[in-house]
Amino acid sequence: MTTKTLPSAMNDPRENMPFYRLRLFVAGDEPNSLKAKAVLSRLCNERLKERCEIRIVDVFEDYQAAIDYGISVVPALIVESPLPMRTIVGSLNATDKVLAALGLVEKEGDYE
Amino acid sequence: MLKNLEKAPTHIPGLDDILQGGLPRGRTTVINGGSGSGKTLLALEFLYRGALAGEPGIFIGFEEPLEHLRQNTATLGWDLPTLERENRLFLLDGRIKPETLMSGDFSLKGLLAIAAGKSKEMGAKRIVIDALEVILRLFDTPQQVRKELHAINDWLQAAGLAAILTVRPSSHGSASPYEDFFESMGDCILALDARVTEQISTRRLRVIKYRGSGFGRNEYPYVITPTGLRAAPISSVGLRHKPLGEKVSTGNARLDELLDGGYRRGACILLAGLPGAGKTTLAATFVAAACQRGERALYIGFEESEAALIHNVSSAGISLRSHLETGRLAFLTSFPESQGAEEHYFSALERVEAFRPDHVVIDAISACYRMGGQQIAFEYLMRLLNACKERGITIMLLNQLTGTTSYMEISGNEISSMVDTAILLNYQFSLGETNRVFQILKSRGGKHSNQKREFRLTDNGFEVTDVYLGEGDVLTGVARQRQEEKDRIEALRLSFEIKMKELELERLRLIQAQAAQGIAHRALMTGADVSPRPRPAPEDSGKEE
Repeated sequence: MTTKTLPSAMNDPRENMPFYRLRLFVAGDEPNSLKAKAVLSRLCNERLKERCEIRIVDVFEDYQAAIDYGISVVPALIVESPLPMRTIVGSLNATDKVLAALGLVEKEGDYE
Repeated sequence: MLKNLEKAPTHIPGLDDILQGGLPRGRTTVINGGSGSGKTLLALEFLYRGALAGEPGIFIGFEEPLEHLRQNTATLGWDLPTLERENRLFLLDGRIKPETLMSGDFSLKGLLAIAAGKSKEMGAKRIVIDALEVILRLFDTPQQVRKELHAINDWLQAAGLAAILTVRPSSHGSASPYEDFFESMGDCILALDARVTEQISTRRLRVIKYRGSGFGRNEYPYVITPTGLRAAPISSVGLRHKPLGEKVSTGNARLDELLDGGYRRGACILLAGLPGAGKTTLAATFVAAACQRGERALYIGFEESEAALIHNVSSAGISLRSHLETGRLAFLTSFPESQGAEEHYFSALERVEAFRPDHVVIDAISACYRMGGQQIAFEYLMRLLNACKERGITIMLLNQLTGTTSYMEISGNEISSMVDTAILLNYQFSLGETNRVFQILKSRGGKHSNQKREFRLTDNGFEVTDVYLGEGDVLTGVARQRQEEKDRIEALRLSFEIKMKELELERLRLIQAQAAQGIAHRALMTGADVSPRPRPAPEDSGKEE
């Protein structure tokens, strides 16, 4: 996937935009986790529309999932699809980095 | 809470002695060590042996892939996968994949959640966090690091596990921003150090602190044996020594007499002497006699090969080969330089444990210097001596002297004090020849002759000759023979003189008898009394009357 094709994809999401399967590991209500949840839900609403599915996993409730996904630091966002699988750790405050990881480059459209 | 500190035994030979029972339960132990020091192995062995003994454990590593750990420990005969399947051991790879993106703040709560959940699930008693400093590097500020460490510390304390954190000190010598914190976090701190001195690698372990417990305060050598780690405490020296046993023959009847029956079983015997003085022959005499009685002897040789030694003593009429064949005699020969002192010690100890000898000979302790210096040789010997003394094994130390120094030149005071019997073999130079003498300098727990005695190394081995005391010293060889001749002549001369005197006496008696006869005869003729009285002068008698 190249960044050049993205703006048009975004203009017509139903045509080319992939479906995002995301899993966010959090640790209860600790500040970084709350922040990451907020950032991610805003991102989904604004940029991915309905083409995403987010699962929130609280490591204190489901430590086995943390083992299975190799999560030692939280919050951690796993992009399960589209492939390849990617992991972003932290409170997701560097939005441009997150978007890049999702294959969505912010402001790209502004140049066209 | 004034109850005694509970301890989790490491089950690592020697280490529990140093730690006086093990690592603290419900507290954190910090193991500090550079790369290759074996800190991860120590921590893993704590879990592995704990799991075998019924205490499940958790390992969280930040440095090595788990598969490496499983493979490396498999070479030590540890079957981690089986323990993992049985939920007695849980290994977690805490490494962050290199392609992971960082965006904003995060914490190690994921790990704590896994550790907490898993620990509850399997009833863990032990936990290891390996190479924690690796993951701490992900944090930007020292404040964040401290926060994470606090969180870990709080959880560990609440969880009540016996915990180990392994940490590698910063390589540039400067203190990392959290080293202080590690130190305050650890109730027990161990430092492992692998270094190379004189081209021989040695590993040392030291307990820096242990809150609420005593511990051995020295530096202790440790090695990685084919089955795991092994430490060598020296602090217990003397505490578990067996008392000296009964007399046991030296293999030489005359020497037995001089030692009032022989050596003592379980004693430490020092045979010291110049090269060629007969130390090995005397030791082989003892070994052969012991094997003949059905006892076992282990001969640790640093000077000669097994074949050379057997051949050399056979010329003195001592046959060791048959004892080797019956399995009563075993050799452990190597060059002192071939490995570090710790490896030498542990391979000797393993032989002692497997072969269970009654007697051990070390030929020669002077060669132990070549393991890497005087201190290292001393420690090797002290440990081996200690191990033998604890098992009631007789230990015979051969010490090759260089000429000018004293007979315990290598030993240092501590070894001297452990020597029960000391025999000095020496040369005596006189009248153009060199003779062999020996002297018993010390024999604890029995009377002994302290005379210097001459001996010969003959086809029949060690032969003690009859003592010959001259003016102030033992006479040997030609001097002894000449003195014998001199004395024989003197005795002849004296007996001749006695005969002469007897003849003289006889002659005088004859004269006396003749004189007495003459007197009696004259008295008869004059009718005078024969009784002895002053005879009046004939010319004076008339005057007086």
